[in-house]
Amino acid sequence: MLKLDGIWVHYGTVAAVKGISLEVDENRIVTLIGANGAGKTTTLRAIGGLHHPSQGEIRFRGERIDRLTPERINALGIATVPEGRRLFPQMTVMENLEMGAYLRNDPAGVQRDLEEVFHHFPQVKERCDQLAGTLSGGEQQMVAMGRALMSGPSLMLLDEPSLGLSPIMSQEIAKIVKELHANGRTIVLVEQNARMALLLADHAYVMETGRIAMQGPAAQMRDDPRVRETYLGI
Amino acid sequence: MDLATLIQTIANSVVAGSVYAMIAVGLAMAFGVMKMANFAHGEFYMAGAYVVYVLYALAGWPFPAAVIMAIPVVAAMGVATERLIFWPTRENVLAGFMATAGLALILQVLVGQTWGVGLMRSVPTPYMGAMDVAGAKIGWQRVLVIPVGAAMLTALWYFLYRVKAGKALRACAQDAETARLQGINLNRMSMLAMAISGASAGLAGAMMAPIQPVTPYMGHAVILTAFIVVVMGGMESIAGAVLAAIILGFVHTFVTTLFDAVTAQMVGVACMALVLIWRPQGLLGRVKA
Repeated sequence: MLKLDGIWVHYGTVAAVKGISLEVDENRIVTLIGANGAGKTTTLRAIGGLHHPSQGEIRFRGERIDRLTPERINALGIATVPEGRRLFPQMTVMENLEMGAYLRNDPAGVQRDLEEVFHHFPQVKERCDQLAGTLSGGEQQMVAMGRALMSGPSLMLLDEPSLGLSPIMSQEIAKIVKELHANGRTIVLVEQNARMALLLADHAYVMETGRIAMQGPAAQMRDDPRVRETYLGI
Repeated sequence: MDLATLIQTIANSVVAGSVYAMIAVGLAMAFGVMKMANFAHGEFYMAGAYVVYVLYALAGWPFPAAVIMAIPVVAAMGVATERLIFWPTRENVLAGFMATAGLALILQVLVGQTWGVGLMRSVPTPYMGAMDVAGAKIGWQRVLVIPVGAAMLTALWYFLYRVKAGKALRACAQDAETARLQGINLNRMSMLAMAISGASAGLAGAMMAPIQPVTPYMGHAVILTAFIVVVMGGMESIAGAVLAAIILGFVHTFVTTLFDAVTAQMVGVACMALVLIWRPQGLLGRVKA
């Protein structure tokens, strides 16, 4: 479904991502784990169209997307839940959700997706008229995921959804990621919480300083001694 | 101060506040979406006044028609500024600032060369007569500014809070990158913001043409006030700009009536400084996360 082939991304003259290749099959959860600054977020931003790779190709369903704008990529069915939630703080929760559906012209489908958001996140429904900036971190994460769902995506890019959340809230988010996956969505999950990510994912890539250091089925990676020592702290 | 003077001054304050608000909301909007201070915004106001000067005073159009024409003409100037200056310099705030300051000078000279600097025909007052309130005489031409300003601000509010494209504009002002991830075309939103910015300043200038002397430099006088209003209101906040405009309208008018215009400017700046000490983000501005 999604294929990155030898992607390089530069910030000025500094390479943040150095020729990575990865593949995401339909209806899978694929995780990118690694330390801070390993290039995980940059990789997601490149897929979402916020960075254009200086080399390499990104293909979505066979079509090249690495030169497209974020607007076009959103229209293809790829939705990003950015790191740090990035809600529109001075807009209501409902307006944030509406913005997620900005490009859509099918009111019935939008309504259906709104119901799904409320089904996954009952708290969000109660907070509809509240300004998004006044929500707690966990609630903001839910709205950010709801906003992404509102575009009716087939592929969701989740950047550090558990960052800054309590362990209980992180588990809640993990449960919802599983539900979204069960509803037929493909998910790319970037996480510093490697334990959670490896439990959720089918396949894992470990990034180190802009390169892919290791990859394999998540279950296998959980047992890998290097992963255990470096990322799980066992 | 007797009652008639007091009423007169209050009425003038509301008129001044309306004009400040009409000018400042456009500046706040341009800053919100593009994060660029448009130093040529005062010249948009001047251009609006010149549309009325040319069409109404010189060509003999009806006044309302000339005012309405000022809206698309100056909106188009706003869009042109966005395409030719803001978009190419969006990576470089300093270049954008220099370019808009340069544009202000170019527009002043262009208008001065075309219609003259000193000996120009004044714009005749289309609506003569005055409203009499407890002995205070308030000219209809001034009174008219209030409903026009209120209507413009209401329309703008409706657009920003009830229409999808308007909400998208707010989203861009709050977080442009995330707005793009939702499929919002930032390029088009920037043009829209500048069209609205130009239209509102142009309308303000058009309404003021029969009241203020129309000169190539009239934008100069309002740009400082507009910046004070926007800073005081909280840089990107439209509601903050309106609130600050009304406060400053009263402050300027009362101080001018009691003392003089120079003192009024100083007191206005002092008000801004006090607000910033109390609330560095401005009256209704938000603290950046």
